[in-house]
Formats: sequence, C-alpha cells, structure tokens
Amino acid sequence: MTQRLLIKAAALLVLLSSVNAYSFCGFYVAKADATLFNNKSEIILVRDGTRTSITMSNDFKGDVRDFAMVVPVPVVLQEGDIKVVDRRIFETLDAYSSPRLVEYYDTNPCYQVVELDEANWSAQVTSTDAGVRMKYDMVEEKFNVTIEAEYTVGEYDIALLSAKESTGLKNYLIQEGYKIPATAESVLEPYIKSNMKFFVVKVNLDNQKNSGFDYLRPIQINFDHPKFMLPIRLGMANSTGEQDMIVYAFTKTGRVECTNYRTVKVPTDRNIPLYTKDIFGEFYKNLFTRAYSREGKNAVMLEYAWNVTPSWGGMKCDPCVGNPPIYNDFAEAGVWWAGWNSASPVFFTRLHVRYSNAKFPADLTFQITPNTENFQARYILTHPAGGPFDCDESQDYLESLRARRKVEVDELYALAGIKPNDRSDNYINEFVSYMINKPMDSMLKGEVIPGENSPMDASEIEVDEAYIHSDMEPNEAFLQNDNPEKKNKPWEVPLFLGSIVGLALFVTRKRTKE
Amino acid sequence: MLLSFLRFFQSDARHFQIVSQTIFVCIGVMFLRWDYSFIAILLTFGTALSIQLLGIYLLKLPLHSIKSALITAFGLTLLFKSNEPMLYALAAAIAIVQKFIFKIRGQHLFNPANVGIIAVILFTKNAWISPAQWGNSTALIFVIGTAGLAVLSRVKRIDTGLIFIATLFALEYYRTIVFLGWNWEVLLHKLSSGSIWLFALFMITDPMTIPTNRLVRIIWTMAVAFTSFYLTNFHFVTGAPLWVLVCFTPLTPLLNKFFPSKTFNWIHSTQKQFNHDTKIAY
Repeated sequence: MTQRLLIKAAALLVLLSSVNAYSFCGFYVAKADATLFNNKSEIILVRDGTRTSITMSNDFKGDVRDFAMVVPVPVVLQEGDIKVVDRRIFETLDAYSSPRLVEYYDTNPCYQVVELDEANWSAQVTSTDAGVRMKYDMVEEKFNVTIEAEYTVGEYDIALLSAKESTGLKNYLIQEGYKIPATAESVLEPYIKSNMKFFVVKVNLDNQKNSGFDYLRPIQINFDHPKFMLPIRLGMANSTGEQDMIVYAFTKTGRVECTNYRTVKVPTDRNIPLYTKDIFGEFYKNLFTRAYSREGKNAVMLEYAWNVTPSWGGMKCDPCVGNPPIYNDFAEAGVWWAGWNSASPVFFTRLHVRYSNAKFPADLTFQITPNTENFQARYILTHPAGGPFDCDESQDYLESLRARRKVEVDELYALAGIKPNDRSDNYINEFVSYMINKPMDSMLKGEVIPGENSPMDASEIEVDEAYIHSDMEPNEAFLQNDNPEKKNKPWEVPLFLGSIVGLALFVTRKRTKE
Repeated sequence: MLLSFLRFFQSDARHFQIVSQTIFVCIGVMFLRWDYSFIAILLTFGTALSIQLLGIYLLKLPLHSIKSALITAFGLTLLFKSNEPMLYALAAAIAIVQKFIFKIRGQHLFNPANVGIIAVILFTKNAWISPAQWGNSTALIFVIGTAGLAVLSRVKRIDTGLIFIATLFALEYYRTIVFLGWNWEVLLHKLSSGSIWLFALFMITDPMTIPTNRLVRIIWTMAVAFTSFYLTNFHFVTGAPLWVLVCFTPLTPLLNKFFPSKTFNWIHSTQKQFNHDTKIAY
C-alpha cells in the first residue's frame, strides 16, 4: 500500500513539475546559441533579522557548458557565504508542503463501521597574484566592471561583479562568452544604480566531471542586508510567457508575505469527486491557474504555512504528504538556527508565484509577520458507505450522498474548470438503484451499476480554458460547498457594520443637527 | 423625510468617512478575500465604542463623539492584523484611551488608530500590517479616491492628501525612473498600492492631528512623505508612513502654537467652524 502511495506521490510530483514553465530569479544566459529553458525555479528563502540565505535550484537540462546564471545580490559575498547543496533538500521540502488529497469514509447509517482516516500522497582561493591583478585592472578600465571576487565552489566558477553602468557590464559578459538577452541592458541598469553586485555563475567542467553528479546542484548564498527581496525582473529579460517559482521560506516568527503584491491563499478544504484521485496533479494544475487568474494574475499564492520546529511535538500537517524536515534537512536548507539543541522555532511558508512581464512589473519584496496560523492546500475525497442499504435511515443517506456528489462535481468545475461529463453523471447517480424514490432527472440517464466507477484518466478531462483563465466569480456551487467549519461568513461583516453604523447615526442624530 | 436625512447626513463630514470605510472593509472581506476574524471585528468595535461611551459618561463628552470612535474602529479593522483577537481589543483600547490622556489645549496628540496599531506592534510583537493587502487595482483606487475627495472636500483637507501623494510621486519618479532607470510600470506599480491612497486620503488627513496653518500643513505633509519615502527605499521599512505619522503628529500642537491659522479668510472661517465641530466631537 505504502509503495503504491509513494509511486502516486512521485507521479504527482513529476506531473506538477512537468506542467509548469519556469525561469529564475536571475537569468540564465547561454554561452552557445542553444535555446535554454529553465523549467522550474525553486527558491529556499531563510531570513532572520537582516540575515538571509537563498538557495536556488534549477533543473537545467542542456549541455552544462552552456549553463550560466546572473543574480543580483545586495553585497559582495565571501567564499564562505557560498556553497552547493544536495538537490534532495528541494524534493523533501516540496513533497512535504505540496497540496494534498485526503480521503474520508462515510459510515453506513444502518451498520456502524470503524471509521478510517487515510492520508496519502501525497574551492579554490581568490588569487591575488600579479597576473590576476592585471586582468582585474584591465577589466575595470575597459568595461568599468570591477571583479570584486572570484571563487570556485563545487562545480561552479563564481564571480562577483560590480559595475558603474550597464553597457560595460553587458559587454564584459559578452566578452566572457555569455549570451546576453537583447533586453538585458535596461534591466541591469537599475540593479547597478541600486548598488547591487552581480553574482555570476558558470560551470567548472573539471569539477563538474569530478563531482560525480549528473545534474547541477543548487547554489546557496548567505548575506547580511536589510533588503528582503527576490529579483525576478532579470529572469524576465529572456522570457515572454508566465513563469512559475516556488518559494520555501523559513523564519523564526511566522509567515512570510509579499509586501508589494497581494498574498492570497489557494482554495483549500474542498470536497471533490472520488474519480479525481488519479488526476490530482492535473486537477491542481488547473486549480492553480484558476485561483491565480481569479486574483487578477498578480497575486502571490500561499500553498502552505506551518510551524515545523523540529523539537516541537505538535501536529505538523494533516495529512502529511512527506516526512517532516529534520535537523539535517534544515542545515542543508540554510536554516542556521535549527540545530540539535536549539529551542528556536522554525516556521515554514510555501509561496507559489506565477509571474509574467506585464503583471509583475517590480521585484518581489517580502516581510516576516508574526502570523503563525497554519495553512495547507487540502482537497477531500469522501468514499460512500458500503451497503446494504436496508434500513429507513439509509434512504436519507443516499439522498444526501447524491446531493453531495452533485456539489462535488460542480465544485470540480468551479475550482479547476473540469467540465462535467458522462462520468460525472454516473458518479452522481451511482447509488440510485438502491433508492426507493428514484429522482426524476436520473431516470433519463439509464441505470448505473454501483462500484463500476473507475478512476478518471487524464485524457478524459475537458477543461474550460476560458473560465480558468478569467477572473470571473465562480458559480453558486462553489459557495454552497464551502467548508461548514470555516469560521468566516463574509455576509456577517457588512451586516454587522451596517447595523452598527446605522445605530450610531441614529443615536447621534439630534445632537449633530443642533 | 429623505431630504431631512440628507441634510442630517451632510451635516457632519464624519458621516461620509464612516460610509466610505464601511465600503472599504466590505471590499476587503468580500472581494479581496482577506483573512479576517469576525470575533476580532466585534472586539475592535465593541472596545472602541464602549470606552468612548465611558468617556462620554465620565468626561461629559458629547454623545456624537461616538462617531469618532467608530472611525477609529474602522481604521483598525482596515489596517491592523493579528492572530490574537484580544490584541484587536487592546489596539482599540489604546487608541481611544490615549485620546483622553495625551491632550494639549483640547487637541489630542496622536491619530488614534495609528497609535493603537503602532503601540501593539511595538509592544506585543504579535501584530503586523499588510501593505499589499489592497493590491494594485485601478478600480479600487478610483473608489478610494472618490470617497476620499468627498470626505476631504468637506473638511477642507484635500490639499494634505494630494500633497502627500504628489510629493511621494515626485520622489518616486525621480528615484525609480530618472535615477534607477526602471520603466513606468514599476513606478505605477509602487504608486497604485491601495494602502498608500488610503493613508493619504483617510489617515494623514485627520484634521484633528495635523497643523491648521495652511503653509505649515503643506510643509509638514511633505516632510511626512519625504521621511516615508526615505525609510521605505533606504531602510526597507514595511508600512513606513504609519511609523512616520506616529512620530510627526505630536509636533502639531507646537506648530499650531507658533503658526496659528490666519492665512486665507475662507480657510480661516471653515477652520473655525470645523474646529468648533470637532472640539465638541472629541
């Protein structure tokens, strides 16, 4: 069973990662003319006070000789501030914080069955000798670019540049063999003027060969600066469409939120049909598109927020989709305060940003809030009770089951634009044969044999693309199926405010008239 | 009936403000899907109104000063965030009580909602503000702008709101476009933040806590805008205008003493009328 779930989880991850089109907070620049696609960008962002650690992962698939990356950073990094980390930390964090499916089982009203609650899926030293000095001076004179430092860390050759103007920087990078996007110059300029340095990375082929890894490992940088931001604009220099970035943020106090774009939760705790089990990846992909379109395509989406302090015994997820990160994982992720005997809390926020040139004109800036409210993107499958349905209560149950399933199907459309089809009709009417008073509208559909509802295949899905890319409000079912435990009922607020304002105006009417 | 209601409604600028703020809270809750807790809203209004009623009873304040407490409660609901509903009550209590305590020549020193928010953030470390919660929608700015102008035209404080925005715009224009070389979208993105407009039209313009002399008021407003700009861009302070305002409002009584309002006659007269009204109000 566990193995099957693992396979499912793995399939889900692959699916999720293959459907997105991505870039990076810096930009990739090719050394040869190979067209480069950076499929997924994932960032681990650790922050406490003014200290920041950023780990950047890429799934670069081309020839490593073509790999190059430019990231603006606020300070000149020392060699000890840069390291390469294992790719697996991203997999761990992703698996742990991914949107999840949870399954519940109805109990037969005639026979009390034990309730199950199944959770699833779910370095060399900078040379200072004369020759190098001369090269530095030449670069400085010719391009107005200062090479602040050069290091080799793991399989990467890294240079930290500061520049006085963007043309020099561009020309220098071109001379070094980087292929710079035509529009890059105008984007480089503001970073130069903000006194930012450029962290320029290419692959050291010898070290890469010796490292034994057949992929490029993530790079982690640490620095101390009050600026708390991610420079996404550079990444848009060589891209037109939408790019996805997942940010795994860790703080001591609480959630990280964006201070120049809205941070909005993805819809959660929704009931969806059983047959979506095998298309969960596809479902979530569409749900995300829908949710972010509904927010006007310029919001940062919150997918997960939880206290994950390793020494804290409380529940860290419900259900957990992966193993919770442990001390080693935190060390690898750059969460420097999460040591074995550290009492400091660790709060994990997962943000999903889908940015495009038009909708995200400025770099992302963040703040740490003391908001420790937990959040997870969670979708619910509810299995029907097993038969036989031979008591009076069971008729009510079947009625409610059918009504619930109708809402689930509507919800699937409202959330992810997946259109109802024959399959969903069969799903709604699956237990009609047990009902004494058969509903009128099911008569026309013909008999459905209970239990013959196989999981839906991804190829069967028909998505209403126009709907999921629009910002229109969803249909009524969406609101109907709202989680009853949810504490907020938005109509309460206008009602309350209206009455209190009315009351205040009423009692003061005479005095103000005078 | 309708006519007399309209006359009553127009008799006090605070009515316009209360209605605008009601609309903003509803937009936030219903369309922007804010995280809010109904209990927290109840506590905010409950605390603010009951302390004000107590003040009315004990300090013999006029009954209609309840409207000012209502405005403070709205201000908190619009800006203040915390996981602890009790902290909303605390912020409301601080906001109202400080009005009765920090007073010079009948004028209070701080903008009530502003000081309530800052005090709770500073002392409990368990509250925050979300400057991005309004997003960057032009439709929203239109709503805020229209409502803001309606209120400000009645209290003759349009100058303050517009000068704040204009100063910020000039500074941001110089830094973002002229100096850094970003394109216009970046500037528009920065200045289309709903929070800035709300601050400019509904918070800094509180006539009770800003200088009465027009010239002084203009300079004072520009100083607030400049300091906010500086803290935002060079010290990366989140929600800088609120922090600046809490430091700048205590200067008001001092400025009013040295620069009493005596410029244009029409301002003087409305001022007198307004001061008369609001002194009774508070």
